[in-house]
Amino acid sequence: MRSKVASDLRTSDLGPVDLEMNFGLVGLSHKSAPVEIRERLAIPEAALPQALEALRRHDGIREGLILSTCNRVEVFARGRPGGNPADSLVSFLAGYHRLPAGELKPHLYQYAQRDAIRHVFRVTASLDSMVVGEPQILGQVKNAYAAARAAGTACGLLEEVLMRAFSVAKKVRSETGIAQSAVSISYAAVELARKIFGSLEGKHMLLVGAGKMSELAARHLLRSGAASLMIVNRSLERAEELAEAFGGQAVPFERLFDSLAHADIVITSTGAPHFILKKEDGPRILARRRNRPMFFIDIAVPRDVDPELNKIDNIFLYDIDDLQQVVEANLAERRHEAQRGEQIIEREVDRFLARARTLEVVPTIVSLQERLEEVRRGEIERLRARLGDLSAEQEQAIEALTRGIVNKILHEPITHLKSAAQEPDSRKAIDLIRRIFNLK
Amino acid sequence: MSQFWLRVTLILYSIGLAHALLTVFIRRAKLFRVALGAISLAAVFHLVSIVEQAAATRRFPITDFHHSVSFLAFSITCAFLIAYARYRFQALSVFVFPLVFMLTLSAAVSSGARLEDPLLRSGWIWLHVLLLLAGYAMLFVTFAAGIMYILQERELKSKKPRAFHYRLPPLEQLDDLAHKTLAAGFPLMTLGIISGALWAAAEWGSRWPLDPKIALSFVTWLIYLGLIFSRWTAGWRGRKAAYFAIAGFLATVATWGANSGLHSFK
Repeated sequence: MRSKVASDLRTSDLGPVDLEMNFGLVGLSHKSAPVEIRERLAIPEAALPQALEALRRHDGIREGLILSTCNRVEVFARGRPGGNPADSLVSFLAGYHRLPAGELKPHLYQYAQRDAIRHVFRVTASLDSMVVGEPQILGQVKNAYAAARAAGTACGLLEEVLMRAFSVAKKVRSETGIAQSAVSISYAAVELARKIFGSLEGKHMLLVGAGKMSELAARHLLRSGAASLMIVNRSLERAEELAEAFGGQAVPFERLFDSLAHADIVITSTGAPHFILKKEDGPRILARRRNRPMFFIDIAVPRDVDPELNKIDNIFLYDIDDLQQVVEANLAERRHEAQRGEQIIEREVDRFLARARTLEVVPTIVSLQERLEEVRRGEIERLRARLGDLSAEQEQAIEALTRGIVNKILHEPITHLKSAAQEPDSRKAIDLIRRIFNLK
Repeated sequence: MSQFWLRVTLILYSIGLAHALLTVFIRRAKLFRVALGAISLAAVFHLVSIVEQAAATRRFPITDFHHSVSFLAFSITCAFLIAYARYRFQALSVFVFPLVFMLTLSAAVSSGARLEDPLLRSGWIWLHVLLLLAGYAMLFVTFAAGIMYILQERELKSKKPRAFHYRLPPLEQLDDLAHKTLAAGFPLMTLGIISGALWAAAEWGSRWPLDPKIALSFVTWLIYLGLIFSRWTAGWRGRKAAYFAIAGFLATVATWGANSGLHSFK
């Protein structure tokens, strides 16, 4: 046990006394503050080193990390023993931005200890994001950590929290479906296409009309492997322009039906006031392509494609509202999965705390062992001369005897310390033992 | 010894069953990797069991009900493994694993007393059974693909994706799987029927009796023939083809279950 704890200690590169767990977090996010406040409190990346330096010098702060994105500003820190780091952090934020603390406070949330660690885990795992499961946040936290490391403000237990947060985030991502389904309309279109066709390789696309959204969807589909793009427009000139931009092929409007027979995915977004495709067109097109399935994405308002077309076998028609509905369903699925993510986080916080608390008593255990070892050696040295010549065996016996006594005496206080480590008032036990044995 | 290996196989198949139940009821497919390994291993032991039985009786062990069920389970496992290697559809396991388990269970627990029709010992009648069982295995995969197609198609048409949507494979690949397994299963079935007819003709000449199994097998064969024909000529695919494949399989089950007259295991 001792060697394991000791090696844990070494990994954290710390002086043995510096393991006091005193975490605090202050922050604001899209949930607690409007964008006007968030942008005022944001700390741009370039200013981060100075801000971290100021944080390190701030009263009562031992280690710290600053995360500033467009949706949140978080300051996570480990304070000196006794103080309340969250309070120091509020005064730090107010001081840094030269704002009165009273004005800030209504927009801030404050967490201490367990709650602070849980919050860091949740943020890193993207459970607290506006779009649950979005992947950017992990990279942003990693950047914040790199900045803190470079500034020398993350070098102890705080670093351990972050390392754990990264692995927990990975775990949540792989064990739950929080990042599985598309939550934007154009990605939802890509995903639906994949559910119809499997791979998009070799699939042909047709863009009817042009518009920002349809171009975005076309771009996503092309990037996902679609083979070719035909563009039909009332104005051939505009079609040719787009064809150039996408590496596609412009087709005159009169040949719409020919190109439909070749297209697997059709995106429509014309300004036509009526349907350009009616239900009876469906079987005609399908007959020319031996019923191979077709996916219509109708982004136009008013709609370009008769919704009745969806009732025909092998035709799948989604209009903008349908896509929105899919996005909603995907978001609901993500939220559902996020609940399982919360359970994982709760378990991981417990595990981390248990380990950190053990870490907290390690320095005391180590100095206790050193203290008694010192006494033992001192006594042997003092009495060695009086014992006269001893055989090697006798020497060994003395060693064994004295060591045995020391270990027997140590056993109880160490056991007590280890179990006290898991209790809330572990500090008391540590102090008591330190006083009894007169440890520095 | 063959029976011993069959029980080992059964235990391994039960892991597959557990995976299928977990997937359906708790919506978690955590066991899949384990189950896939277990099923692959089970296929090996199953083969060992069949070979040992064949060595012991010096005949292909397929001519009594007990062993034919075991062989059918083995064929379905093989069909699944081939399909999985090509398509990577985890969802297929939910259909295959429970069935394979149940078939093997019934083969493993049935009593040692196996009454055999002396008719079935003769000549190459085992080939008739083998071809048909291998065909059934393929057509079962066609059936499973058809069911998955219909479920997924309904999800996509309804535009409200629910749990199924996320877990079922893409439509076109399901259609492809159904088509390929049909293209493999139908010739096997056809050859199986022809071999049976030839054998019967050799045994009884032109006056061999018509029993329910023979009648039903013709109905089944015609359904599949219709499906293949309309796929080729009219480009039938998707939902209609899936319904046809399901109908064909139900007829297949009826055919398989009709054991009377000439085909009864006495």
